[in-house]
Amino acid sequence: MELISNNDGKWSLKRVSELEYLMLSRIQDSADPSGCEEAVIRLYPSPVTPTAKLDPQAVKSIEDDWREYAGPDIRDGFGKALNTVGSDLASACVEEADGVDYYGLTVPDSHAESWCSALNQARLVLHHKHDLPSEAGEMESGPVSEEWLAILQSEIYGMIMEFLIKEVLWE
Amino acid sequence: MSVQNTSVEVEAVPVADIEGSENLAPPWKVLIFDDPVNLMSFVTLMIRRIFGYSESKATELMLQVHHKGRAIVWTGEREKAELFVQQLQSCQLLAAMEPVD
Repeated sequence: MELISNNDGKWSLKRVSELEYLMLSRIQDSADPSGCEEAVIRLYPSPVTPTAKLDPQAVKSIEDDWREYAGPDIRDGFGKALNTVGSDLASACVEEADGVDYYGLTVPDSHAESWCSALNQARLVLHHKHDLPSEAGEMESGPVSEEWLAILQSEIYGMIMEFLIKEVLWE
Repeated sequence: MSVQNTSVEVEAVPVADIEGSENLAPPWKVLIFDDPVNLMSFVTLMIRRIFGYSESKATELMLQVHHKGRAIVWTGEREKAELFVQQLQSCQLLAAMEPVD
């Protein structure tokens, strides 16, 4: 996979292999925390620190307000980012290079934040759902396991995020 | 029924006193907690964007989060603290607030 900043208000994913495209096409599903309470709590944490010197009733009141007012906005923002990435991925084309078919995709710079959000949501959920180590080198299971695929996904997503942060979003 | 000639005494409170009393409310701290999954560059970028801090200050705070597990990134009135926590959580940073001791 090649990541290119076009310096024309767009960035491109080039020479995306079949496996890499499969990983990208999983972003939306992977970012869904359903069925994993830890992932839900991680994506939608309490607004109050666990060590806050407040009585439990005050904490409950703040958390109830948060769920009612801030929660839907946060959820909506996450959903919009995932939809933007889904639409961008739907525009991917097959491009031939050196006799091999690859996927290619050009994305407006203005979508970079949505991509970072979607990729990060997916990374967080993957780590919680599969109880992944924070470092890829710590993996012990073989290369064909679900955990290995989840680590590969997370690594690819992290690499794209690093590119977007350094080449597109950093001012 | 007529309400003419009815008077209600209301004690006037100067606006300055109301604003002053708001300022006496205890300040709140906004904290970011370490999350090994979040990229360091991502945390730095979001701190810069949300608080308008310089690159060096944002990097210093990110490193504090990374090494010490948490960092106080802002202190001030509760409403603004809530807004910052919402913005940070919208970027999937592990952020929360608490009153200053």
